[in-house]
Amino acid sequence: MSSLAQANVRGFRQVDKVIWELPAEARADMRVLACVFADRELMGQIATDRSLEQLQNVATLPGITGAALAMPDIHQGYGFPVGGVAATELPDGIVSPGGVGYDINCGVRLLALPLAVGELGAHTEALVHEISRRVPVGTGHGGALKLKGAAFDRVLVHGPRILLAEHGIGTAEDIDHTESNGCLEGADPATVSERARVRGSDQLGTLGSGNHFLEVQRIAKILDSQAADVFGLREGQVTVLIHSGSRGFGHQVCSDYVRTMDAVQARYRIALPDRELACAPLSSPEGQRYLAAMACAANFAWGNRAVLAHRVRESVARIVGPRIAAATRQVYDVAHNVAKLEVHHGRRLCVHRKGATRAFPAGSPEIPAAFREVGQPVFIPGSMGTSSFVLVGRRGAMSRSFGTTCHGAGRRMSRTGARRKITGAELRRQLESQGIVVRCPSNRGLAEEAPFAYKDVERVVAVVEQAGLAGRVAQLVPLGVVKG
Amino acid sequence: MEIEAATEEALFTDALHAVGELLEDDVSGPQVLREVTVNGHERAALLVLWLDELVFLAETEDLVPEDVEQMELSERGLVAMVRCRRGRPRHVVKGATYHDLAFERSAGCVRARVVLDV
Repeated sequence: MSSLAQANVRGFRQVDKVIWELPAEARADMRVLACVFADRELMGQIATDRSLEQLQNVATLPGITGAALAMPDIHQGYGFPVGGVAATELPDGIVSPGGVGYDINCGVRLLALPLAVGELGAHTEALVHEISRRVPVGTGHGGALKLKGAAFDRVLVHGPRILLAEHGIGTAEDIDHTESNGCLEGADPATVSERARVRGSDQLGTLGSGNHFLEVQRIAKILDSQAADVFGLREGQVTVLIHSGSRGFGHQVCSDYVRTMDAVQARYRIALPDRELACAPLSSPEGQRYLAAMACAANFAWGNRAVLAHRVRESVARIVGPRIAAATRQVYDVAHNVAKLEVHHGRRLCVHRKGATRAFPAGSPEIPAAFREVGQPVFIPGSMGTSSFVLVGRRGAMSRSFGTTCHGAGRRMSRTGARRKITGAELRRQLESQGIVVRCPSNRGLAEEAPFAYKDVERVVAVVEQAGLAGRVAQLVPLGVVKG
Repeated sequence: MEIEAATEEALFTDALHAVGELLEDDVSGPQVLREVTVNGHERAALLVLWLDELVFLAETEDLVPEDVEQMELSERGLVAMVRCRRGRPRHVVKGATYHDLAFERSAGCVRARVVLDV
């Protein structure tokens, strides 16, 4: 970038080494400033798509407070950018389904095996293969656990807790080590369409497609030994990272409520620069119904990742042994597409995080007692073949980003662009030549997720660390990947 | 997806063909006729609903849309008899979005843009 571009990117002024701001006065319809956490290199990449314009659009939403925020992994999304945070004030600020996204409670769960990579040794390929046999991948593909009627609705209301009680899936510690204990309050199945139920009834325990994946990893480096000890992580340990969400169920909930809210914009005198930002006041019937349906989808997603974790433990039991499977712990599970009612700076807010992760610091009553002395674990998956990171929430997140940090590397090239640059077969060869076991039925899907299609995850996490939002705890590298 | 057609009926039919091409994979199964009804007077939103309906048929019944046998487009919405083929659709489309949605009429022409979530 030129020195001029460094100082000013699309009107955003660099106010700190890793903070860029655009004042609310920059556009007549903006209500608050727009703020991006990025270094100069990332800001240059971010400016190549429409995400900064989308962030300004978010700054126009009624009731938004503080700033429309962007994490360093921001990229263009539908309406809202991915990697965006918008906090709206209760009771009459808005809630927007687009501010959560189609994959409601897409998130990441990390399992830690009581095993060093040397002990897994020659079993690595067999373990990855066994997981791929037990976990259905791809859009629309159903899993072995099919729930209907009241049994399905109980998952929507209670999340993984009911899967443990009625199906023996997961453990009590898993639930304790899950954001919001895997259950958002206020979930009401009556607010969910029949179509969403049809799409979701066989999708518990399925991975999905796109950037969803399941990775067997080793901890390459411990970067914060105190937090790593508290999280139960050590160098050389084998971990399994699960990245999935609410599948077709959540997609339908989002679609239904984007339509519902699109139809009532005039009633609430809301004018939007993009229809995908459709929203309604939190206090309105439409806003309340969306929150209740979104909670159902969030609880479904936690249930989905609980079943996926169960399939991983089954695979570990078969390949490595039942003793190792029984001692496989869930480190934590974080959501990165959700809207939550939280108190910040003494005010009750609805914090929309779309492609952004809650990152509460030490002392927060919202995080498990076992982690309270260091802060909440956060997982940042890299792209295939690159590192992932375990982070811990820091105090700066509370003062600067409504308790939020980034969620991943962040796309910097379209899926079509990635396919133009590499074939799935070639990428498969490249990953295998690095010793990474790959199980993916779709060469097209594989090519779309090529590592070069994403930003540099190490740079992204360095930014959130410099900004004081989260700190690095451990670096994980892939041994094998299963994806749709 | 950007579509240009002479009439609104032709535009909705072309949209079906485009989605059918995206979903098509192994479509050697039997032909199936399905009546599809979507309600709404505003054409851009109606196009989103129409595409979502076709994607839903593919996801839940493995039906790939091939053509429109009959279509009635009114102020209230759209009723169509859709010819599908049962197969193993490539589930690459999750739904249609309102992002950058456009529907414009000009002399002798209708244009639309709809972004699909893939």
